[in-house]
Amino acid sequence: MNPREEKVKIITEEFIENDEDANVGKRKKNSKVQRQLRKKQPPTTGPDKMVSEESHPGNQQEPAQDEPQTRLLSVTARRGPCSLPPIPSASRTGFAEFSMRERMREKLQAARSKAESALLQEIPTPRPRRLRSPPVKELETEFGTESGKEVGSTQQEDDFQSYSRVKFHVSARKIKSKPQVPPGFPSAEEAYNFFTFTFDPEPEEAGEKLKHQDGTDQEEEEGEEEPPAQEGANRMDEEELLHGKDAEDFLLGLDHTADEFLAVRRADYESAHVRLQREKEMLFIPSRLTVPTYKKLPENVQPRFLEDEGLYIGERPEVARTNQNIMENRLLMQEPVRWFGDDGRILALPNPIKPFPSRPPVLTQEQSIKAELETLYKKAVNYVHRSQHMIGSGDPSGNFQLDIDISGLIFTHHPCFSREHVLAAKLAQLYDQYLARHQRNKAKFLTDKLQALRNAVQTGLNPEKPHQSLDMIQKTINEYKSEIRQTRKLRDAEQERDRTLLKTIIKVWKEMKSLREFQRFTNTPLKLVLRKEKVDQKADEEAYEAEIQAEISELLEEHTEEYEQKMEEYRTSYQQWKAWKKAQRAKKKKKKQATEEHPEEETEEPYAEEDPVKPTPPEPTDRAVIEQQVRERAARSRRRPGEPTLLPELSLAGSVTPNDQCPRAEVWRREDVKRRSVHLKVLFNNKQVCRTASRQLGTDFRVHFGQIFNLQIFNWPESLTLQIYETVGHSSSILLAEVFLPIPETTVVTGRAPIEEVEFSSNQHATLDHEGVGSGVPFSFEADGSNQLILMTSGKVSHSVAWAIGENGIPLIPPLSQQNIGFRSALKRADAISSIGTSGVTDMKKLAKWAAESKLDPNDPNNAPLMQLISVATSGESYVPDFFRLEQLQQEFNFVSEEELNRSKRFRLLHLRSQHVPEFRNYKQIPVYDREIMEKVFQDYEKRLQDRNVIETKDHIDTHRAVVAKYLQQVRESVINRFLIAKQHFLLADLVVEEEVPNISILGLNLFKLAEQKRPLRPRRKGRKKVTAQNLSDGDIKLLVNIIRAYDLPVRKPTASKSQQPSRSSRTFREKHAASPDTRSPTHSADYPLGQVLVRPFVEVSFQRTICHTTTAEGPNPSWNEELELPFRAPNGDYSTASLQSVKDVVFINIFDEVLYDVLEDDRERGNGIHTRIERHWLGCVKIPFSTIYFQARIDGTFKIDTPPVLLGYSKEQNMIIERDFDSVRSLSEGSYITLFITIEPQLVPGESVREKFDSQEDEKLLQATEKFQAECALKFPKRQCLTTVIDISGKTVFITRYLKPLNPPQELLNVYPNNPQATAELVARYVSLIPFLPDTVSFAGLCDLWSTSDQFLDLLAGDEEEHAVLLCNYFLFLGKKAWLVMGNAIPEGPTAYVVTWEKSHYLIWNPCSGHFYGQFDTFCPLKNVGCLIGPDNIWFNIQQYDSPLRINFDITKPKLWKSFFSRSLPYPGLSSVQPEELIYQHTDKAVAAELQDSRIEKILKEKIMDWRPRHLTRWNRYCTSTLRHFLPLLESSQGEDVEDDHRAELLKQLGDYRFSGFPLHMPYSEMKPLIDAVYSTGVHNIDVPNVEFALAVYIHPYPKNVLSVWIYVASLIRNR
Amino acid sequence: MAEVHVIGQIMGATGFSESSLFCKWGVHTGAAWKLLSGIREGQTQVDTPQVGDMAYWSHPIDLHFATKGLQGWPRLHLQVWSQDSFGRCQLAGYGFCYVPSSPGTHQLACPTWRPLGSWREQLARAFVGGGPQLLHGDTIYSGADRYRLHTAAGGTVHLEIGLLLRHFDRYGVEC
Repeated sequence: MNPREEKVKIITEEFIENDEDANVGKRKKNSKVQRQLRKKQPPTTGPDKMVSEESHPGNQQEPAQDEPQTRLLSVTARRGPCSLPPIPSASRTGFAEFSMRERMREKLQAARSKAESALLQEIPTPRPRRLRSPPVKELETEFGTESGKEVGSTQQEDDFQSYSRVKFHVSARKIKSKPQVPPGFPSAEEAYNFFTFTFDPEPEEAGEKLKHQDGTDQEEEEGEEEPPAQEGANRMDEEELLHGKDAEDFLLGLDHTADEFLAVRRADYESAHVRLQREKEMLFIPSRLTVPTYKKLPENVQPRFLEDEGLYIGERPEVARTNQNIMENRLLMQEPVRWFGDDGRILALPNPIKPFPSRPPVLTQEQSIKAELETLYKKAVNYVHRSQHMIGSGDPSGNFQLDIDISGLIFTHHPCFSREHVLAAKLAQLYDQYLARHQRNKAKFLTDKLQALRNAVQTGLNPEKPHQSLDMIQKTINEYKSEIRQTRKLRDAEQERDRTLLKTIIKVWKEMKSLREFQRFTNTPLKLVLRKEKVDQKADEEAYEAEIQAEISELLEEHTEEYEQKMEEYRTSYQQWKAWKKAQRAKKKKKKQATEEHPEEETEEPYAEEDPVKPTPPEPTDRAVIEQQVRERAARSRRRPGEPTLLPELSLAGSVTPNDQCPRAEVWRREDVKRRSVHLKVLFNNKQVCRTASRQLGTDFRVHFGQIFNLQIFNWPESLTLQIYETVGHSSSILLAEVFLPIPETTVVTGRAPIEEVEFSSNQHATLDHEGVGSGVPFSFEADGSNQLILMTSGKVSHSVAWAIGENGIPLIPPLSQQNIGFRSALKRADAISSIGTSGVTDMKKLAKWAAESKLDPNDPNNAPLMQLISVATSGESYVPDFFRLEQLQQEFNFVSEEELNRSKRFRLLHLRSQHVPEFRNYKQIPVYDREIMEKVFQDYEKRLQDRNVIETKDHIDTHRAVVAKYLQQVRESVINRFLIAKQHFLLADLVVEEEVPNISILGLNLFKLAEQKRPLRPRRKGRKKVTAQNLSDGDIKLLVNIIRAYDLPVRKPTASKSQQPSRSSRTFREKHAASPDTRSPTHSADYPLGQVLVRPFVEVSFQRTICHTTTAEGPNPSWNEELELPFRAPNGDYSTASLQSVKDVVFINIFDEVLYDVLEDDRERGNGIHTRIERHWLGCVKIPFSTIYFQARIDGTFKIDTPPVLLGYSKEQNMIIERDFDSVRSLSEGSYITLFITIEPQLVPGESVREKFDSQEDEKLLQATEKFQAECALKFPKRQCLTTVIDISGKTVFITRYLKPLNPPQELLNVYPNNPQATAELVARYVSLIPFLPDTVSFAGLCDLWSTSDQFLDLLAGDEEEHAVLLCNYFLFLGKKAWLVMGNAIPEGPTAYVVTWEKSHYLIWNPCSGHFYGQFDTFCPLKNVGCLIGPDNIWFNIQQYDSPLRINFDITKPKLWKSFFSRSLPYPGLSSVQPEELIYQHTDKAVAAELQDSRIEKILKEKIMDWRPRHLTRWNRYCTSTLRHFLPLLESSQGEDVEDDHRAELLKQLGDYRFSGFPLHMPYSEMKPLIDAVYSTGVHNIDVPNVEFALAVYIHPYPKNVLSVWIYVASLIRNR
Repeated sequence: MAEVHVIGQIMGATGFSESSLFCKWGVHTGAAWKLLSGIREGQTQVDTPQVGDMAYWSHPIDLHFATKGLQGWPRLHLQVWSQDSFGRCQLAGYGFCYVPSSPGTHQLACPTWRPLGSWREQLARAFVGGGPQLLHGDTIYSGADRYRLHTAAGGTVHLEIGLLLRHFDRYGVEC
C-alpha cells in the first residue's frame, strides 16, 4: 500500500469521528447559525453530487462509496444534536475494500465538481476584495480579543478539512462556525501536533489558507451570511485549484480540462472620483483657517487673558499659525471644551526649550577654565614614595613660592644697652611717634573741620535760600552743633596729645644730655635739634582769642540749652511733686479720720509710698566760669599765642666717644656688644626652612641682613615664624624671641610688598657685669635708685613677605578659594550659579545684581525662592548670615545629634582602638550594644588624659620615680609621634617575600650538597625562614631554651662544717686577681668524702609565669642538654613588631639544687620504706630580657650565673684537676657559668630601625665625613659596629664624641676609698650599675636608639647600655683613667657598649650594666666582638683581622690596627660637649628610703609570698627577720663579698635549731615589679613543708641622686628535730 | 547612630589601553559620617595582566562608619594609574561611584575618564607619556561643573562591595 494513501485514510477516519463529536457539542450553541447555513446547503450539495457522478461515470463503486460519505456529512449537518449514526464503522470497512487510488480519484472528482458549482455561484455577486478588507480587519481584531480561543480551535479544524480535500470542505465550513471545542474532543494542540507531525509539508500551506478563512468565517457569524460565504467559497476554490493541480500531477493519467475551472473576468476599477467621494464621507480634513474665538469658548464667555491680569503664564512654545489652526479645527470637531484655555487658545505648558544651548561651545575652553577643573600636564615620572598617597591631597598641586625678605633687625632694648642707649631708644621711639603724628596732623584736620562746621552753622542761621522750611534748617543746625561739639572734643584731645608728646621729647632729650654730661662720654650719635618757627604774634594772638571766644559762646549756648532742658524737667517734676503733696495731705486728713476708727491700720500706710523728693531748680550757668575753664584747657593743650612753634628734629650727627676715653665698664660693654651676633631662623609651618647668616651686633644695635628667602611651598602656609637667636662669643645660641609673621594676602606679590616692621620682645633675663643695663633686671636713672625701670629685650624686625611671581607673571599662590572668572554673557542669563559662580550665590548683593541684569521674570514660579531671597536680602531687614553652611539642612535630617554620637561608648571604643590608643590597642571583640560596655573601660584612659601633668605616687613608690615615669612617657609619646611618618616608610622587602632566584652558584652548591652526609657528625644550624608578625596569634610563638651545661656550680657544705675563713673586708684588684682561687679550695674538698654527691642541680626556666624545668643532673659541672619549650603570649594578643619590641618580660633561668630529705619519722620503717621530701635550693639565676632574644633572634653562649653573694650551705668547689696554667685564665672569673641556647620559634623579624635622616646641628662637613667613614668601615668589615653619630633624646643627630667628657661622680663615693683608685673605680662602676636598666627598644618601641646625656640619664634613672657606658666612661675619665667606650657585640645583649680602661699594664673591660669587670684575656668576658673605640676626641675603628677582645690589641696609637676618624687630613675641630659642665647630685632622703624599705617593699613582698602560697599557712619568723635585717647593711658595705662565713657563723649561733636556706638578692631599684619577679623566681615560697617558717628582710641603701640599692633577704626555716 | 560597614574589594580593571595598572582609591563622606575604623584611602599594587585583559588587584576595603544622617553617603573615588616600562606612572583614569545603599553584596563597575588636554598634550602623551591631570583631585567627586572638561573614556574598575547596615531602621530608614 502506498504510504500516502494510508495516511489519508487515517485522516479521514479520524476526521469522521472528530467531526461528529464536534458537531454534537457545537450545535447546541450555534444551532441558529447552523440552521441558517443549512438552508444554503442543499442547493450546493445537489450539483456537487451530480457533477461527481457525471464526470466519472465509469466508476461503479463510487456512488456506493460516495454515498455514505456524503450522506454522512449531510446527515450530520442536517440532523439534530442527538444524531450519532453507526455508519462510521461501516464506512471504514468500505474504505478498506477499495483501492486507495480509486478513492483519491473520486475525491478529486468531488472537489472539482464542487469548485465548479462554487464558481458558478460566485459570479453573480462580484465584490471588490480590496474594499472589503478594512472592515474585515476591524472586525477581526474585535473578535480576536473576544474569542481568541475559538479562532484557534477553528483553525485546527480547518487543518482537517484541507487534508481531506474537497469532500470535507463543506462540512468543515460548518464546523468552523462552531467556535467552542467540546470536551472529549482532542485539544487543539494535540490535534495540531498530530497533524504537523505526520504531514510536514502541508500544514503550513493549510495554515496560511486558513488565516484567510478565519476572516470569512467570522463574517458569516456577523450575520452577513450570503455574500461572504460565497466569497469564502470562492477563495477556497481558487486555492483548492492549486491543490487540485498538485493532485493532478500526483494522480497521473487523469484527464480533465482547464476551462471547467476557470472564469475570465474584467479587472476591477473604481474611479478616483468615486473614491474621493467615498473618502469624503469617511474622512474629516480640518481647515487651515483661523477659528473664531467664540467657537472655542463655551457659550457666552468672554475670553480672559491671564497675562494681562498679572498672572504668570510663561512663554508658549512656538508653533506655526497654520498648524495651530489645523489643530484647533480638529479639536473643535472632537471635544472643544477640554482643550482650550480661558483665553481661547490651546492649553500649553511654558516653553521647555531654553533659548540658548546650556552646553556652551567649547572652542574657548583654553582661556577660561575654572580653577578647580584645571588640568596640568604631568610628565610621566618615576614614582616617588610619599608617606601618604591620598587622592585628595596627594598630588602636589604645583610649586608655589613665598618670598620672605628679612632686611634687618633693630633692638629697642638689649641687655647691652647702656643707660644712654635706653634713653636714646626712648627718644627715637617718641620721635617716630611724633613724626607719625605730624604726618597725619590730625589736630589741623580737626581744626579745619571745626571751622567749616561753624561756617555752616552761620550760613544756616542766616538763610539765603528761604525756600527751605524752618524745621529743616533747625534740624540741620542742631546736627551741626552736635557735630561741632564732638569735633571740638576730639581736637582738644589731639592737641593735648601733641603737646605732651613734644614735651616728653624735650624732657627725654634733656635727661639724655644730663646723662652724657654726668658720665662724660657719649654712646649714641643721637642729637635733637629744636627748630623754632617764628609766628606773627599779633595775628596769632587774635586767632587764639577768636578761637577762645567762639568756644566760649558755643559752650554758653550749650549750657543754656541744657539749662532750659533741665528747667523743663524741673518744672514737670515740681508739678508732680506738688500734686503728690496735695494728695498726701488729703490722705492724711482721711487717715486721721480713719485712725480714730481703726487705729491699728495706721502704721502701715506711710511706708507704702516713697516720698518724692522735692526737686531743686537747676543753676544757671555763669559765663565767667566757662571762660575760665576754656582758657585753662587752651593753656594746657595749645600753644600759647606768640610762642614759636617747636619742630624737633632728630639726627645722628653726634659723635660717639671713642673707646679710649671711656671708663672700663663702658669699654667692657662695647666689647661685649661686639662679641654678640644675631641670626634669624625662618620657620614655615613650624619647620625650620632657612636661617640668615649670623651678623654681628652693631654699636647702634641694628643688624642688617638684607636676605631674601624663596620658599617653595606646596600647601597654603599655616604659620610663618621668625626665631631670633643671639650668640655670645662661641657659646651656643640662645633663642631670644619668636615673631609670627602674617601670611600675606593673595594680592601681595613680590615687588609690591611694603617692608613692614614686627615688634618682638623676649622674656630673657640678663644681668651683665658692665655698663649694660641688662634686661628683665630693674635699674634706675636716679642716683638713689628710685623710680626703677624693668626693660625686657625687645626690638623690631623689618621684613616683607610676598608671593612670588612666576615666569608668566602669574603669582605663585596656592589656591585658597575659588576665584570668580568672568563668564560669557550668554550664560550669564542662563543660570545664576554658572554666571556668578557657586561662591557668588552666597553673596546676596552679587545675586541681586545678577538678577537685575538678567531681567529675571519675577512672576516665574521657578524663580520664586530666588526672588524672595533677593528681596529679603536687599531690603536689609533680615539677618544675612555671614557664615557659609557647608551642608545645609544637615541638622534637620540628622538621626541623632553630634553629642549623642560622641556619647556612644561603642563608637568611642571602636574609634580609640583604631587609633591605636595604648589602652585599647588590640582590644578584642567590642560589644555590640552600648549597654554592654562598662563605663570603667574608659576610666584608665580618661584618667591618663587628665593626669597628663598631674603626678601621682600611687603606682610608684617614691615621687621621684613617678615623675620620671611620667616624663619618660611624655618623651616616648613625642618621639613616637615624630617617627610615625617614618614608620610608614616601606621597602619592597617589607611587603614581598621573594624567594631568591637560583643562580648557578646556588645550584652548584645544591649539587654539592647531594654528596653531603645525611647525618653529619658536626651538624650546623641552618637559617630558618622568618615569619612576619602579622599572621601570628596566641600560641604560635614558642620560646626554645636549650640548656646545655653548667660549670662550677656551688656545692653543698655539710652544716656541721665550721671552718672559718679569714674575712677580708677590703681587698685590692691585685689580691683578687692573683690570689682568689686557691684560698678556699683545700678545706672544702676535704669535707666531702669521695663519691658523695656534691650537688644535684636542675634548671628551671620561667617566662611569663610559665615554668619548665630540666631533669636533675649531678655534680658541680652538670650537663643537661635539654630543650625546654615555653609558649609566648604577646600583650593584648598584638603580634605587631612594635608591640613585640615593647615586651618587657624577662626569661628567668634559675638553677636549683635538688635536696632530698629523709622524713621518715619512724626508724623502724626504714627497712621497708623510703619517705623523702624533695627540697630545692636556689643557686643562682640568669635573666635575659625578651627584647634581647627578639632582636638577636638567638642567644648562644656561656653566661655567668648571677649567684647571691651569700649562699648558705654552699660553697664553690675548687676543681683540683685544674692546673696552674689555666689558673691565670680563670683568675678573674670566679663564679658559675651556664651554657645556653635560646631562640624563638618561628623566627620573628625584628623591627628595623628608622631609615630616616634626622635633623642635626652638626656641621655639614662633619656629617659628610661621618658618612664617608662609616661607608669605608662597612666596606671592609661589614659586621663590625661602627658608630659615629647618634640620636639624642630630642631626635637630633649628634656626633658621638660629644657625649664623652670627664664628669664628676658623687663625692660620697670618692670619699670612701680616698687612697685606693681601684676600689673607687669599682665603687663607681657599682654605682652606675645600680641605675636601672631599661632598653630603648622598650621605651621607644623599636624606633631607634636614643642616647641621653648623663644628666638626663641620672634624672630619668633609666637607660640602656650606652647610657650606662657613657656615664661610667665619663666617671673614669674624671678619675684620671684612660677610658674608652667600646662598641661591640656581647652576649646576651647583642650590639652594646662597654668601657675599656687602661690599668698601667693591662686593659680592663667593664660591663657598665652589671658593674663587673674582666681582664682582656678573660674567656668568660661577655664582650665578644669589638667594633670601635670612642674617646672624648676621636673614634677608632677596629681594622684588625680579629675582633675578639682576646685577640686584638687595644693600642689605638697604631694606625694599622685602628682607623681613626679625626686624622691629619681631618683634624679634630674641638667639638663642644653635649654633657653638662658638672653633675649635681642631690642626697637621697634617707627617711624616704627607710620608709620605702620597711613599709612598702617589705610589706608588699610579704603579702606576695603569702599570695603565692594560697594553700598553706605562711608563718614569719620575726627573730630571724630581725637577724637578717642586721646583716643586710653589712652586705651592702662589703658589696656582697666575703661575708659568707661570718654570716653563717652568726646565723648558726642564733638559729641553731633551724635548718635554714635562704639568700640575699641584690638589685637596683626601679619599680616594684622586678623585685617581686625576682623573689618569685627564686621559688622560696614553693616549700610546702608543714612547719616551714619564712623570713624576709629588705634593706635599701640610698646612693646620691635617688639611686637605690635594694637588698632582699629571703629565707625559709625548718626546725630541726 | 546608625552604622555602616563597607567591606569589599577592588577587584580590578578592564578596558584600559595601558597594561600595568594600579589604583589609588579613597572614600569620601559627608560631615555627618565618622570613620570608626579602617583606612579611608589607599593604593593597590601594580598589576600587569599576563592572561586576559583584566588587571586584578583584589585590594581589600574594610571600613566601619558611624553616621548621624544619610547625607553625604560614602562615595568612592578612584584613580587608575599605569606604569610604563620605565617605571614611570601616568594617569589612566578617574572614576567615581557611590557606595551602594542597600545591604548585601554588590558588584560595581565604575567607568573612568581622564582629561584629554590640548592636542599638544595628547601628542606628548602618545609619545613621551605623562598626561594632563586634575589639579584638584576632589573634582572627581565634587559637584563642580565638569562640562568644560574634555575627557576620554578610560576602562572600567570593578568593585565588589558588601554592605552591612545597622540601626538604620531605628531612624526610619528602610533598607
